[in-house]
Amino acid sequence: MIQLTNVSKIYPNGAKALVDVSLRIGKGEFVFLVGPSGAGKSTLIRLLYREEHPSRGLVSFNGQNLVRMKEREVPFLRRKIGVIFQDFKLLPRKTVRENVGFALEVLGLQRHEVEVRAEKALELVGLTKKLKAFPHELSGGEQQRVCVARAIVNDPALLMADEPTGNLDPDTSWEIMDLLHNINKKGTTVVMATHAKDIVDQMKKRVVAIEQGRIARDDEKGGYGYEL
Amino acid sequence: MSFSSAKYVLRETLSSVKRNPWLSIASVMTVMVSLIILGFSAFFLANTSNMAQSFESQVEISAFVHTNVPETQVEALETKIKAMPGVASVVLVTKKEGLAQFGQSLGKAGGNLVSDLGGTNPLPDKFTIKAADPRRVKTLAAQLQQFTELKSVRYGQGVVDRLLQFTRWLRWMGAGVIIAFGAAAVVLISINIKMNVFSRRREIQIMKLVGASNWFIRWPFLVEGLFLGLAGGILATVLVGTGYNWLAGYVSSTLAFLPVVRSAWLFWQVQTTLLVLGMVIGAAGSALSLRKFLNV
Ligand SMILES: Nc1ncnc2c1ncn2[C@@H]1O[C@H](COP(=O)(O)OP(=O)(O)OP(=O)(O)O)[C@@H](O)[C@H]1O
Ligand SMILES: [Mg+2]
Repeated sequence: MIQLTNVSKIYPNGAKALVDVSLRIGKGEFVFLVGPSGAGKSTLIRLLYREEHPSRGLVSFNGQNLVRMKEREVPFLRRKIGVIFQDFKLLPRKTVRENVGFALEVLGLQRHEVEVRAEKALELVGLTKKLKAFPHELSGGEQQRVCVARAIVNDPALLMADEPTGNLDPDTSWEIMDLLHNINKKGTTVVMATHAKDIVDQMKKRVVAIEQGRIARDDEKGGYGYEL
Repeated sequence: MSFSSAKYVLRETLSSVKRNPWLSIASVMTVMVSLIILGFSAFFLANTSNMAQSFESQVEISAFVHTNVPETQVEALETKIKAMPGVASVVLVTKKEGLAQFGQSLGKAGGNLVSDLGGTNPLPDKFTIKAADPRRVKTLAAQLQQFTELKSVRYGQGVVDRLLQFTRWLRWMGAGVIIAFGAAAVVLISINIKMNVFSRRREIQIMKLVGASNWFIRWPFLVEGLFLGLAGGILATVLVGTGYNWLAGYVSSTLAFLPVVRSAWLFWQVQTTLLVLGMVIGAAGSALSLRKFLNV
């Protein structure tokens, strides 16, 4: 499903975020991306929903070459990918329900269906009481859960989570992990960047470790592998 | 665009206006002020050029015929002058008519006047000639002087030159005012739009990352711009309309010698232009300033 071939990413300021990375992720897999801060995890995720272009190498999704993809096809790619952003990226002037519903509005769905499905997704992340709140009225963890709800609301083929539990208490973290686990069982591919050692160690999933922009380790059913 | 997305666009527009009332009001005000400025400049231009025209139309040539030229020859001369290029109108005032007018101005009957003047009419036949282009009065007068039947040709030498200078200045001022204020209006509006779009740059970026196409983002902005522009246009129309009516009434009652344009046609033209311009500015302004933010 995802194929990176000899991918390097150098940002305009000269920062080498990824160096000659090759990686294959199959349909239905659950993969943890681990590694120290600044290793290049977020960059790898950004390449896949095409917020960034690789400086060198090939990125493909479902057989489509993302490097060559035309600008007007990009929205269709993004509609197949749910992203839980590290910095949430919520629309400040929209309510919680509208934020989640927006991922469905872009598909051109009827308003009623948009609202019903948005509420269902918010129920899954335990935020039914905040439907009409605006992002700035929420705590960090609540904002993060809105972002999770938006990422899963349109049943994406690929779900990418950039530290989706970074702002959550252990109990809520595990609820979100159960959610991602269930979504994965229904067939969605999940790629999750995280620093949460206990989660990685307990889930026994594939672990890809990135260090200074290179893949340092790729274990089936691995552990976090770094001492905190 | 499907029906449900049309509804989405309208909902988006309404909620955006509702949630950013101050930004919306600022936009409406900006468009309004700009259009008021433009509207008044347009009326100013119309009036200055009308004034210039009406001053110029008072420029005429008087050509006096030798008293010994017979009537038939005078009539032949009239046709010849009418045929000259650049001549707009020729009016012949014969000796008799001239005398009658003179008599009237004295309050006496024409018959008595002739006998009072010793049985002969001393007045010459007179042509009043208007040039199609007042700037050509001088050359036309020179050409008329060639006719031997004409004793003298007068056109207010000296005064006409200065008048033409004045009317040219009037026209330039009208055009200058509309260009200067038009430019000011454009600057005002583009600053406002830049602020609007800039404040939403991050939103636009997020929308794109969640899978919105460019048109999906553009439509609500365009419709919002259109509505706010229209609102500004309507306000400007009302204010410019009542303002100009009042001003025109005031000027023609206090400065009666100034010719004020009060044509319904001009009025209608300026007003519709303001309305259409408001909508175009609103929509096109949003579209243009969105352009560079859509490449995410
Ligand atoms: N937009 C950018 N412009 C310039 N440099 C960047 C940009 N984004 C990231 N970098 C640099 O690229 C490198 C990798 O960053 P990245 O965000 O991918 O790390 P990360 O593994 O996600 O780290 P973290 O765990 O802290 O989120 C870092 O050195 C960072 O400074
Ligand atoms: Mg990161």
